[in-house]
Amino acid sequence: MRMWRFKGGTAVLFLLLVVLGGTSPSGIQAGDRLEEIRIGDGKGDWGYPNPYRHYPRGPGYIRMSWVFETLAWKDEAGFVPGLATAWRYDSGTTSFVFDLRKGVRWHDGRPFGPEDVAFTVRYFKEHPYSWVPMGTVAGAEKSGPHQVTVRLAGPDASFMTYVGATMPILPRHIWEKVKEPKTFDDPEAYIGTGPYRFMAFNKAKGTYLYEAFEDYHGGTPRARRLIYIKAGNPLMTLLSGKADLVNIKPEMAETLKGKGMVVLENPRGWNKKLMINHRKPPFSDKRFRHALAHAIDRQAMVDKAHRGVGSPASFGLLSPDHPFYNPNTPDYPPDPAEARKILASLGYTLEGDGVFHKDGKPLRVEILASNITVAGESVSDRDGEVIKQQLEAAGMRADLVHLEQATTDARVLNWEFDLAISGHGGLLGDARVLNRMIHPDMTGSVNSARYGADPELLNLLAAQIREMDEEKRRALVHRIQEIYADDLPAISLYYPASMSAYNPKKGIRWFYTQGGIALGIPIAQNKLSLIR
Amino acid sequence: MKPRGKNWSRGLTGSITAFVLAAVAMVYLSYALPRLLPGDFVSAMYASSQVTLTEDQEAELRAYYTQDSGFPSYLARIVTLDWGYSYAYLTPVSDLFFEALPWTLLLLGSAHLLSMTVGFIAGVEAAWRSGTRTEKGMVAGMTFLEGVPEISTGIVLLFFFALQLNWFPAVGAETAYAGTTGWERILNIMHHLILPLGTLVLAYVPGNFLLTRNSMMMVLHAPFVRTARAKGLPPGRVRYAHAARNALLPLVTRLGLRLAFMITGALVIERIYAYPGLGSLLFSAIQARDLPVIQAVVLVSSLLVLGVILALEGVYRIIDPRIAHAH
Repeated sequence: MRMWRFKGGTAVLFLLLVVLGGTSPSGIQAGDRLEEIRIGDGKGDWGYPNPYRHYPRGPGYIRMSWVFETLAWKDEAGFVPGLATAWRYDSGTTSFVFDLRKGVRWHDGRPFGPEDVAFTVRYFKEHPYSWVPMGTVAGAEKSGPHQVTVRLAGPDASFMTYVGATMPILPRHIWEKVKEPKTFDDPEAYIGTGPYRFMAFNKAKGTYLYEAFEDYHGGTPRARRLIYIKAGNPLMTLLSGKADLVNIKPEMAETLKGKGMVVLENPRGWNKKLMINHRKPPFSDKRFRHALAHAIDRQAMVDKAHRGVGSPASFGLLSPDHPFYNPNTPDYPPDPAEARKILASLGYTLEGDGVFHKDGKPLRVEILASNITVAGESVSDRDGEVIKQQLEAAGMRADLVHLEQATTDARVLNWEFDLAISGHGGLLGDARVLNRMIHPDMTGSVNSARYGADPELLNLLAAQIREMDEEKRRALVHRIQEIYADDLPAISLYYPASMSAYNPKKGIRWFYTQGGIALGIPIAQNKLSLIR
Repeated sequence: MKPRGKNWSRGLTGSITAFVLAAVAMVYLSYALPRLLPGDFVSAMYASSQVTLTEDQEAELRAYYTQDSGFPSYLARIVTLDWGYSYAYLTPVSDLFFEALPWTLLLLGSAHLLSMTVGFIAGVEAAWRSGTRTEKGMVAGMTFLEGVPEISTGIVLLFFFALQLNWFPAVGAETAYAGTTGWERILNIMHHLILPLGTLVLAYVPGNFLLTRNSMMMVLHAPFVRTARAKGLPPGRVRYAHAARNALLPLVTRLGLRLAFMITGALVIERIYAYPGLGSLLFSAIQARDLPVIQAVVLVSSLLVLGVILALEGVYRIIDPRIAHAH
């Protein structure tokens, strides 16, 4: 932890030096076919780029996405064709029919076909890939020379996001022989249909090398080589020309714009969140949770801890930019007096020390904080300190405990906490995110409220997945947001500004994907940038 | 001096016995301590990821990663020199370790050797010029440098030499996938090494300098140095063959202990310069609760500490034969 705090100070010191000094990025010539594109990454290592060996985080999936393709994909406007050129839902048979692209070849030259898609569905059902929920998929069959039909066990409105645009298609001729996919580490394990072939990964250095697949069905990829490097300091890496694209901290944006770099800002799809142990008193009483919400001034948190970059989040969880966003959810404006009033109504008495007491004991809450990983980068901030001050101002005695992330996660998973600061994305993707971030079945997630105390909420969550009519589903999702914001099993705090910067002289236009890549990855490394 | 006689080995048997007992304890601790960390690989990897696991999925993953993880099988693997498989990479731990080790040895080994040589010579020369402006200036400068954290030095060097002057690369141990071989590759590696090495040398030299100077100051007034001077020996010989040799013991101790912590000693520098090494490997393994990797690095580094302490016993006896007689 100390090191990360140190790192935060380092970034500020470094930024100061860059602002004070004048730098000139090395000149890069634009051209039709680039020799290489280099992407900098703070961590470097995200596992091997195949479904069973990449880390279960966004950057791991992205590294795989250059090699393996999905039936559909997304760009900045929404779904676009992938290995399938068109698809339709057949409500009579509760199945999706995909028309597949012709002339697609695997990296080893073999032709791609509907047998591969049907095989992939069977294989993932037998050997689960945690990114793709196969529970609602009954099976898949070839239904034409270039057509495949995926049968569902029941209607699933999230299918296209969670399966269609997330499930990497595996080559049947390779994987049908593989009984232990996790330990399959043959060069064949990295054969896909994607625009790039995986060539090398150095675990110690955190570097990846890909080479363009010249027979790619979507045309020749823009760069011959794609290289990921580990970048300790993204600002330095970009300005010194060692990388062409990096994730940056918001405070670096103006400096980089001044140096001719393009800065991209992610839409509001990621929220910082206060997890509440709603299983234990007094947090199990929703009125107490309302008091917490009134006690916290989220705009002040953005101003104090993030230099004003960011905006308060919706209490209903979905982003205001989401098509199903409900603007009429219960709101809890910052109001310490209202918080104190609610606490008094719950039997607490404000004592001379400025702290509420009940049964002779002070009202004491513990806040767990840690550095959160956003878009693959570990981020330190002062959110914990700000919340502590605000809760104390409302009459609570707040103990802030700053722990390493895995330790905090373990305590939250085991319900050994009062309040914990967490965060997650996916708020602009399919509304299934509500199920993932609320439902009590999601026992393995520290970001999920895992809240099952409201039967109506649980029924609505199940219903919105089954509802294939968009308008009806919108109504259900609106109601879910209302109930969630009223029950408040967790408090969405704010949307931090998440940014990337790239050097435009290479002639590549990077962008953030509508709703995030696949099931909602908020990283500006969409493979379409190197294809179109 | 004839150190390798019977006297030299006196007491060493006891040290070796203690070493073996401590090594056995370390084997157990390297197994038990990482398991005391809250959380496990599945929660560290999945709990805050894009993926949300149900209870069944979680249980299945946990069963997969915890199979064959009892102490008897750990012990059996150590005896057969099998390091196990990393949970995160699903590759042999030994591959990971030996992929990172050369970079750690290159960076820290050269940093220690260089800083010891420079610090030692500067310390001897400063003590010899005791009371002069040169010595005072050197002491003041080194004391200042001693107080500057290596992270600050690293950032300043990066800013001037990588960003402003563009003389040296900012990140990595070599240009990734540049396709260089032979001398070209060696030069590329050296080019990348200079800034992190310079940062570490600037961090380590002051301590070595101040230690040597202080030891020398005590030795320079000893009767045997006066005798050497009176015999008319050249000043260089008096300084190095007579005085400095007797002032060497604390420096060797310092070097030994530094070497022992070499495996994880450059974590901060590794992260600033994105330089590969065992420090980063251990750091990532702890974050991911990758127990086989943590166990291996902890065990090897603790055995290295023991080995260095044992080796120092022998080295002391060579440098200062009185130690053997003390047993």
